[in-house]
Amino acid sequence: MQEKTCSHLWEMINVQSGFIITENCFRCNKTSTYFSFEERPPLEEYRDGEHFWNIMESAQSIRFDLKCSNCDKIIQYGELAGLMMCTGCDEKCEITKLMKKLEKERTWVYVAFGFFPVTERKQISTEKISILEEYFNQRRKSSRSKIKIVSSEMIGNIATCYAELIKDVGMLSLAPPEKE
Amino acid sequence: MKLQEIIEKLSLKALTNLEDKDVSGVFISDMLSDVMSSAQAGNIWLTVQTHKNIVSAANLIDISAVLVTYDKKVPDDTIELANRFHVIILSSPLSSFQLASKLVEAGIK
Ligand SMILES: [Zn+2]
Ligand SMILES: [Zn+2]
Repeated sequence: MQEKTCSHLWEMINVQSGFIITENCFRCNKTSTYFSFEERPPLEEYRDGEHFWNIMESAQSIRFDLKCSNCDKIIQYGELAGLMMCTGCDEKCEITKLMKKLEKERTWVYVAFGFFPVTERKQISTEKISILEEYFNQRRKSSRSKIKIVSSEMIGNIATCYAELIKDVGMLSLAPPEKE
Repeated sequence: MKLQEIIEKLSLKALTNLEDKDVSGVFISDMLSDVMSSAQAGNIWLTVQTHKNIVSAANLIDISAVLVTYDKKVPDDTIELANRFHVIILSSPLSSFQLASKLVEAGIK
């Protein structure tokens, strides 16, 4: 089948469960996130070159790929850390403005996040984001609502963004021991 | 089947505003990632989760209604967010198993 003529019909494949680990270096205050398939992510502080990583959070999540059931094209989503629904926490944020415009027509805005630090990890491309959007819209039955997915690069100030990624915090996750 | 019919048959309590919706199928899980990977649009989702992130997961998949089991207390911020984003949250004192049985009896497939 020719790709040009295929009106892709996406399905989720290669679904794997694991943990999204968030670490912080106390020396340079850098935040790092990654996906771990290990049952026991590191709970203790560890040194990696000049960094001293402390685990901040470990949440269960999934990683997956998409495949077109018509033409077998596969799009890999290894660089997707998760999706977050925009709740409009910051009036000045471009995503809030988009969300307010689209909510009238019942289009919900989601933000696709890659892993941190953004400058050191390959971020998810706009092409992949639009395929992801197409997939989730194909999965919806009612034509009464839709979703729009945008890149986290659109967030005005990530430090004041209060929305949360869709992931399972505190569910079978391994929290670091409380410090006295 | 209409959501209203299910609410009446199972004596469910609505914690949010209601809307006319069709329900097809039941999804049971307490993990948001399961909803993302496996729930189907139109499902009624049975869970003990009450964190406001259930609204994000439900809207992503176009869940018909979230049904919180065991009468778990749903925080106000979850209900506020659900109302704003047109997600319906219902509750019942029954377990997922009891509710699923009743849903099957009611004719949900
Ligand atoms: Zn295709
Ligand atoms: Zn460092």
